Amino acid sequence: MNQIRSSHQILRRMVKKSSALAFFLLFPALAAVAQDDSGPDYTDILQGFADPSRWLTYSGDYSGKRHSPLTQINTENVASLRPVWTFQTGTTTRGRGFETTPLIDDGVLYVTGSNNYAWAIDAKTGRRFWQYRRNLPDDLTYGASAPVNRGFGMLGNSLFMVTLDAHLLAFDRRNGEILWDVELADYRVGYASTGAPLVVDGMVITGVSGGEYATRGFIDAYDPATGERLWRFNTIPGPGELGSETWPDDPEILARGGGGTWMNGSYDPELNLIYWGVGNPNPDYYGDSRPGDNLYSNSLVALDADTGELQWHYQFTPHDLNDWDSNHMPVLADIQWQGEPRKVVMVGNRNGFFYVLDRVSGEFLLGKPFTATTWAREIGEDGRPIVLNDGSKGCLPDPWGSTNFMPPSFYPELGLFYLTARETCATFVPEEPSLVPGQSSFGGVVFIDPEQGSGALRALDVQTGELRWEFTYPSPTFGGVLSTAAGLVFAGDHEGNFMAFDAVNGENLWHYQTGSRIWGAGAMTHMLDGRQYVLIPSGTTLTAFALPD
Amino acid sequence: MSTKSISYQGRISPLQPALFFAAFAVFLIASTALAQQTNPLASDPRAARAGGVIFRGQCATCHGADAKGISSIEAPDLTLMWTQPGMTENRVFTRIQAGIPGSIMPPHDFPDTEIWMLVSYLRSVAVTGSTREFTGDSENGGRLFTAHCIECHRAGISGGSLGPNLERITQRRSQAALRSSVREPSSSIGRGYKPIILSTSSTPGVSGIIKGEDAFSIQILDSSQRLRGFAKSELLSSDRDIDSLMPAFLEGQLGDSQLDDILSYLHQQR
Repeated sequence: MNQIRSSHQILRRMVKKSSALAFFLLFPALAAVAQDDSGPDYTDILQGFADPSRWLTYSGDYSGKRHSPLTQINTENVASLRPVWTFQTGTTTRGRGFETTPLIDDGVLYVTGSNNYAWAIDAKTGRRFWQYRRNLPDDLTYGASAPVNRGFGMLGNSLFMVTLDAHLLAFDRRNGEILWDVELADYRVGYASTGAPLVVDGMVITGVSGGEYATRGFIDAYDPATGERLWRFNTIPGPGELGSETWPDDPEILARGGGGTWMNGSYDPELNLIYWGVGNPNPDYYGDSRPGDNLYSNSLVALDADTGELQWHYQFTPHDLNDWDSNHMPVLADIQWQGEPRKVVMVGNRNGFFYVLDRVSGEFLLGKPFTATTWAREIGEDGRPIVLNDGSKGCLPDPWGSTNFMPPSFYPELGLFYLTARETCATFVPEEPSLVPGQSSFGGVVFIDPEQGSGALRALDVQTGELRWEFTYPSPTFGGVLSTAAGLVFAGDHEGNFMAFDAVNGENLWHYQTGSRIWGAGAMTHMLDGRQYVLIPSGTTLTAFALPD
Repeated sequence: MSTKSISYQGRISPLQPALFFAAFAVFLIASTALAQQTNPLASDPRAARAGGVIFRGQCATCHGADAKGISSIEAPDLTLMWTQPGMTENRVFTRIQAGIPGSIMPPHDFPDTEIWMLVSYLRSVAVTGSTREFTGDSENGGRLFTAHCIECHRAGISGGSLGPNLERITQRRSQAALRSSVREPSSSIGRGYKPIILSTSSTPGVSGIIKGEDAFSIQILDSSQRLRGFAKSELLSSDRDIDSLMPAFLEGQLGDSQLDDILSYLHQQR
């Protein structure tokens, strides 16, 4: 159900946005001074990295570039980077990871963890101010198999976090107390939620997991003050709605078509569009019961932030049979494209292709493989893949994909997109599942060749999708990426190394063995008392690094 | 009981087992008192088949379609679990039902019948090793083991570590597989035993087996059975494309009957 806001409201917001932004652009020094104990407002988040002491949203800014302007740590001195403190969470997720990106404001880190723990931590010492632990029901569905969380959203003195039993919570950031608690969906059917809520003007936006169950995905917007739902976009259309023609004419199939929205998205404030990835159709591997493209599964959707209405979509993997969710961080950038300035959105997809799309219209601009996938020969000019192998002709990237939700980064001055690539070999054997609420329905099995598998950090030229450099890992890796304007790329691997590379040529400049694999998380960085910190979650530990005093 | 039947029937619908189910229901009623102690379906071969369907739908994502586990997500090989000391069907039942606290293995709210079907399935795929009688001379086998194997393999209290511990190996591997490992050790080398020869400026030509590695370092047990770590940056060369460190024992060196003797000796060590 969409609730359309009045034009008056929208106009008021536009004026507020542009005047505040102009103010801080003219007087950047005042931005830091302007802090008080009321916490960051929307214009603060809008400024992204303008205040180096802050990291206010999952990627650091709305664009999803995860590219920090900080330069104290550079290619010359990064070799002396050392741990300053570690924070031990004491809560594990065997088989998955510590996937969060901490937020920081006013010297305090706000961190979510596995099993719906959360903390406020002194950024100087790693000491804890408070801990939150949610009492979770013992009959969790999807949330039991992946008890992870990717971070808070923040606005004013409120923090927002989703839960494994598919609720959205608002916290008082000063004491960790719950301000409101709303149910996104019934976890008993198969829903859960793990992404970092995206706070835009007057809204908290979030999605759900559960595409392995008989669920129907959605993206929701809530009022940050009250938890009232403002709009919902269903990722699988209802009967008769646009997109339903890509499914069998059966309301029951649509009602459990999958399309999870578990990875948070990015936002273009000028276009006022939210960009969000959509996951696999259900059942995952068995497609005979759902002939058609199965929109909007495995797509990127661009939604009007005020209404949740779909502006455009692009489907990466029509009629997916391999669980290649498109739940990635969409990376927004304004680049020169064939000699013209262009607003683009870039995605390194689980299907093994790197994509550049026009983010105003959704027009397909580029699709090039970045792993040795045999799935498709190429993406045609119409943006549809020319599929060679649906899995019946030799191995494909495994269901975890050629990359996954671990965040990539984009270095605008170099025009390079950095992502973690996974080279794997899997055989898919579909099997018709029975669909029982609360029980997963993959629709078949997958054989993954244990003898084949490696990982790499890859730098792609966004103009061509070609590989500029790579650094290889011994096993398929789930670590994310951060780049900084000092010419550095930070990345983590499956063996537990946290590493720094020369962004231009990929030379490894530093590494630190954290003792547990880095899974799903990208690093974040901030200034504190004149010192640049870089933080990475790994295993059960959050470690803060800085140069020696 | 009726809710159990609906859920059970729904899940294995490809088998269309109306009668089949009725038989189980009777079975279950009869054995309710014994539930949790013994598998009421143990004698019915259809239970393993039905359990396989449940397994592929509910368990295979982590434990692999063949129940052999997925090492990258630390999901264990379930075909080997029956060789663990004290592993019983009742324990497996409880693990499925209650999950393993502190791990990703969640509790499962399945009807008891379905859990017993899973237990039956896991029994059916268990690596149980040799069922054939061991008729060799185990005493002579012990002498041969000491002469040829003990430097690298342990069986009981003494022995080396360069090769796998062979205690209870006859429970986990068939005789054919064990023979092949002796005759052609390079044809299949398990994780943790992959061979390597590497050189640094101070230590040329170190051979060993790879115990672990990351992008910057490698951890080996060298052929003198010393644990050693190397930074990859100090390696002048490394060659992995080599035969197993275990020599191939051809018939001329170790006859079939002598091999029988060794296997009989190992079988006694269980």
